[in-house]
Amino acid sequence: MPCNDLAKALRRKGLAVVAFLFVAVPTAFAGSLEQAKRIHDRIAGVPPSDAVLLQMAADIDNGDAIGAAFRAMDNANFYNITLKNFAAPWTNRAESVFVPLNDYIATVIGMVRDDVPFNTLLSADIVYVGNGGPAYSVANNNHYQTMEDNGTDLSTALTQTTQSSVNGLPSAATAGIMTTRGAAEAFFVAGTNRAMFRFTMLNHMCHDMEQVRDVTRAPDRIRQDVSRSPGGDSRIFLNNCVGCHSGMDALAGAFAFYNFDEETETFSYSPAAVDSKYFNNDANFAFGFRTGDDSWTNYWRQGPNSLLGWDPNLPGSGNGAKSLGQEMANSDAFAECQVTKVFRNMCFRDPTDTADRNQVAAMVASFQNSGYRMKQVFAEAATYCMGD
Amino acid sequence: MKHLEHTRALVSQEVAAKLKGLGATFLLALIAGCSGGGADTVDNPVTALPPDTGYNGPPPATADVQAFKLNVWDNLSPSNRCGACHVVGGTGVGAFVRNDDINLAYEEANTIVDLTDPAESLMVTRVASGHNCWLGSNDACADIMTTWITNWAGDALGEGGRAIELEAPIITDVGNSRNFPVDSGLFASTVHPVLTQYCADCHSGSAQIPQTPYFADPDPDAAYEAARPKIDLNEPSNSRFVLRLRNEFHNCWSDCQANANEMQTQVEAFANQVPLTEIDPSLLVSKALTLYGGTAASGGNRFENSQIALWEFKTGQGTVAFDTSGVEPGINLTISGDDIEWFGGFGLNVKSGKAQGSTASSKKLHDMITSTGEYTVEAWVVPGNVNQEDVPIISYSAGNTARNFTLGQTLYQYDFFNRSSVTDGNGQPQTTTDANDEDLQATLQHVVATFDPVNGRTVYVNGVFTDDVDGLGGGTLNDWDDTFAFVIGNEVSGDRQWEGIFRLVAVHNRALTQEQITQNFDAGVGEKFFLLFSVADWVTSVPEPYVLFEVSQFDSYSYLFNEPHFISLDPTADTSGVPIQAMRIGVNGAESDVGQAYKNLDMTTDSLNNTDFGEPLSSLGTVVALEKGPELDEFFLTFEVIGSGTNVRTEPAPLIPPPPPDGDAVPAIGVRTFDEINATMSTVTGVSTQHPDVVTTYSLVRQQLPTIETIDGFSSSHQIAIAQMAIEYCNALVEDNGLRGSYFPGFNFTGTVAASFTPTGRDQLIDPLLDNVFGIGLTTQPDPVEAKTELNNLIDRLTACGGSCANDRTETVAKAVCSAAIGSAGMLVQ
Repeated sequence: MPCNDLAKALRRKGLAVVAFLFVAVPTAFAGSLEQAKRIHDRIAGVPPSDAVLLQMAADIDNGDAIGAAFRAMDNANFYNITLKNFAAPWTNRAESVFVPLNDYIATVIGMVRDDVPFNTLLSADIVYVGNGGPAYSVANNNHYQTMEDNGTDLSTALTQTTQSSVNGLPSAATAGIMTTRGAAEAFFVAGTNRAMFRFTMLNHMCHDMEQVRDVTRAPDRIRQDVSRSPGGDSRIFLNNCVGCHSGMDALAGAFAFYNFDEETETFSYSPAAVDSKYFNNDANFAFGFRTGDDSWTNYWRQGPNSLLGWDPNLPGSGNGAKSLGQEMANSDAFAECQVTKVFRNMCFRDPTDTADRNQVAAMVASFQNSGYRMKQVFAEAATYCMGD
Repeated sequence: MKHLEHTRALVSQEVAAKLKGLGATFLLALIAGCSGGGADTVDNPVTALPPDTGYNGPPPATADVQAFKLNVWDNLSPSNRCGACHVVGGTGVGAFVRNDDINLAYEEANTIVDLTDPAESLMVTRVASGHNCWLGSNDACADIMTTWITNWAGDALGEGGRAIELEAPIITDVGNSRNFPVDSGLFASTVHPVLTQYCADCHSGSAQIPQTPYFADPDPDAAYEAARPKIDLNEPSNSRFVLRLRNEFHNCWSDCQANANEMQTQVEAFANQVPLTEIDPSLLVSKALTLYGGTAASGGNRFENSQIALWEFKTGQGTVAFDTSGVEPGINLTISGDDIEWFGGFGLNVKSGKAQGSTASSKKLHDMITSTGEYTVEAWVVPGNVNQEDVPIISYSAGNTARNFTLGQTLYQYDFFNRSSVTDGNGQPQTTTDANDEDLQATLQHVVATFDPVNGRTVYVNGVFTDDVDGLGGGTLNDWDDTFAFVIGNEVSGDRQWEGIFRLVAVHNRALTQEQITQNFDAGVGEKFFLLFSVADWVTSVPEPYVLFEVSQFDSYSYLFNEPHFISLDPTADTSGVPIQAMRIGVNGAESDVGQAYKNLDMTTDSLNNTDFGEPLSSLGTVVALEKGPELDEFFLTFEVIGSGTNVRTEPAPLIPPPPPDGDAVPAIGVRTFDEINATMSTVTGVSTQHPDVVTTYSLVRQQLPTIETIDGFSSSHQIAIAQMAIEYCNALVEDNGLRGSYFPGFNFTGTVAASFTPTGRDQLIDPLLDNVFGIGLTTQPDPVEAKTELNNLIDRLTACGGSCANDRTETVAKAVCSAAIGSAGMLVQ
């Protein structure tokens, strides 16, 4: 439908003139209506209807701001927009939000919607699929791309199933979102599979490698491809490389059986066969660790990274991605990371002062002690930042 | 064959004699070169240009005498070497180069050589100690003489293996050293103030963008814990804090040298107040050793039968890298350049410069390679980076446009140029390893480039063929030019700088086979030692118990400790049943902070696992920082459990860092992001997000819309995109009769502007927009009265047509008013 001349002219040169006529002037004081509006805006990304706004305001007036927040989550855009864009950057190395819907994102949305304990995010045999369209495939993303193209309402269309029933992995080899095709395409492709560990740490424990660097851990799991004398200078290794690789390589052994084939675009798992990428450049330091299985061990349970709060009830070592996912997702850092991400999403800032930090600590405790329900975290963060 | 048999017999006799007299010495015969079965047929090497020795005496009586003549006598008999003195009537003791009877010279020579260990021959050690070396380096003379004697011994060493004698070391207790005090007080009064003044912008938990380690944290206890690995109390100038400023120019606050001195002064002030203490008495320590207190294990097992030039870069000083192949004439390389220096553990580090031979001596390569028509260039190198392109590593050339051969680098690829009948005078087209394979890495690599007339050029990296087939095949070398010069690190013209480290370079006048290349790769590079750490203080169930390490200087900054074994020097001892846990390496009285690859060790010895070196404790190697240098650094081992000793340690819990300071206040409000804007416009207009026009425009501007909520990041380009979306939604709304009728009840879209924009009509248009976009009664939204005034003003301007408005002007103005409303901050801000 063509626009008329004025509209065309506006497009060409008059847009700014008509577009920022009104500037919102937030007041220092906000009543329940304003608080309800903000909660809804933050949770659903869109303004509420008058009816919902009044109901939420009534909830707040009745001392149930959390209930108001849950009412906002009834809006489908909480799932279609807020959660989708919340998870999308986790699924690619560029951390871009502009990526197609995939099984990683869908699984996060579904787990939040269904109150699936979020500490199983990295270990469960779980995936969310839609209804209709191309079937789920490990060889392409068509199933999810079609849902996105059709504007499918993810709040209702997604249903939970097991990964092992759709991607062919043994159930014991599934590890939540880490073994989705979306994650595999991004982090098991080429390279050495360290990317899966690094990005899982970054996205779900909110620590990049630089922040967990500890040169005092045993280097006995550092693989052969890591030069001990880069460019002929071992000081680089002894002061930098070893700090991350000692802990990371010991943990990333869990991914030894996984690969994403660039040519076929297919995610694969080869039980009991270490992928050849673990032997790339194995002559760089022939005396280094040579991966023989998918065992992992967590050296960061000692030293400064013990402050990540590893679960004392877990053994700290194991085989495969599932047990590693349990190790990571049951740490305090995982819970703090999820809460902090939600806090940032709802409050538009990192926790900046003592009050914020105390709030995050309270939310972490609530999260860990109440079944790791992410909707509760969203509700608590949104009400904390709904304004006075 | 007689020569070979004789040599073997000699070796056997030597070994037998040593075995008889060993006593506490344990002899290990390494059979690395033994493959069993009959000897393979190999090419006859052309290893030397036949010298004119002028010998006129009786002929050699045996093949072994002939071998002595060819390999030793011919090289040493000239008067500018040993022939001036060690002849009949000469002043030297022993006429081993007498020229009247080669057989008598042979008898004399046998008294001063050790064919089982040529390097230990008296003939070699005398030269090494400075006795009339004919070159500028005693070590180079010794190496060359070792080569000649080794050649005399023939392939006995390669066939029979080299005997390595592990002798009990001198027992030495671990020396005293300065250790870090538990309390941070001294640190807080010396080093800490400098750190907090100059480093706290980054290395502090309270920095805006904190970077670990937090050694500049305001809390001295936390800072002390992080700073300890960066401080060397025994050698303050070796502290990382000092080296980072002095050598690496890391964020100096004024002049790096002065800053380093200031830092060193504070570290020294700290160190001087720490008394020398004995090593922590609670530790279970072995006895101590220096690197040179071990048994040398380097040397043998390289395939060198066709080697015509060899540079091992052992000299370590001066400006000449000697060709120690023993094949005359030696191509001794003259080192020149602004930044080219010797490298610890044998090597030459090139950053700016080259090492070049004369054209006269380089002619050896031309003559000896064209006589066989094939050759190999072999090197252990460390490319300095993977960014350099089209640069020569090793070249035999005249400049950038003419060469006989060049091994070069382009990013992750090795390039191999060879002048032949199928290439041009510059050796092009070159063969290059596949870029996708990234065969070249900036780490120590063994690279071998071979040429033969059938296969052409091939490249092997770390003993493995790169699978890059020379598309041109072979060819002949008839066009080689004998006036070119051999050079490493640059072109002879000096304008193609390669950066990296040479550890060894060799040229062979045969194309080495895969087996020979593998043999040379396995032989490794550099000087290695077997260090025997006595653990007799803790292990009483086994006589003469030791932990054996193979140790070498890895580069200028570290040692490689490799493959520890538990061994008894009593070959009859049962070494079973010794518990060993948590082994750590100590240097100069303290355990190394970094590189403790054996601290997770947990085992009990079992002699069933024994090899020639005892029982392997680990297959791993680890790198430990060099502190004072290989002559001075004293190593020892510690254990948490060994034999009867137990000292299990628990790592203390780390200090919890203080909370960061409060950050700056940030706005409580933000903007909607792209999908939220799209959905919000859909919500407030009732137009579907799947409307075709909306979909088209949204796909166009989606990434131009805000992606983060931060209001500080909102820009005019965002607003442009928002306006486009607003226009598209309003266009769809107004063009849809049903939708607009329900959204704007009563408004006359088909009338003239005068008829439609009456006060009532204006209310019918504006009020639904403001109600939907702003909501009702929200004090955080724009004042609807003011907004309505602005929209009315807009209508006034757009309807001022002077009576000549187009028929569809009303719809157009309605779209504009709608766009202004839904593209405003009332929609955007949340």
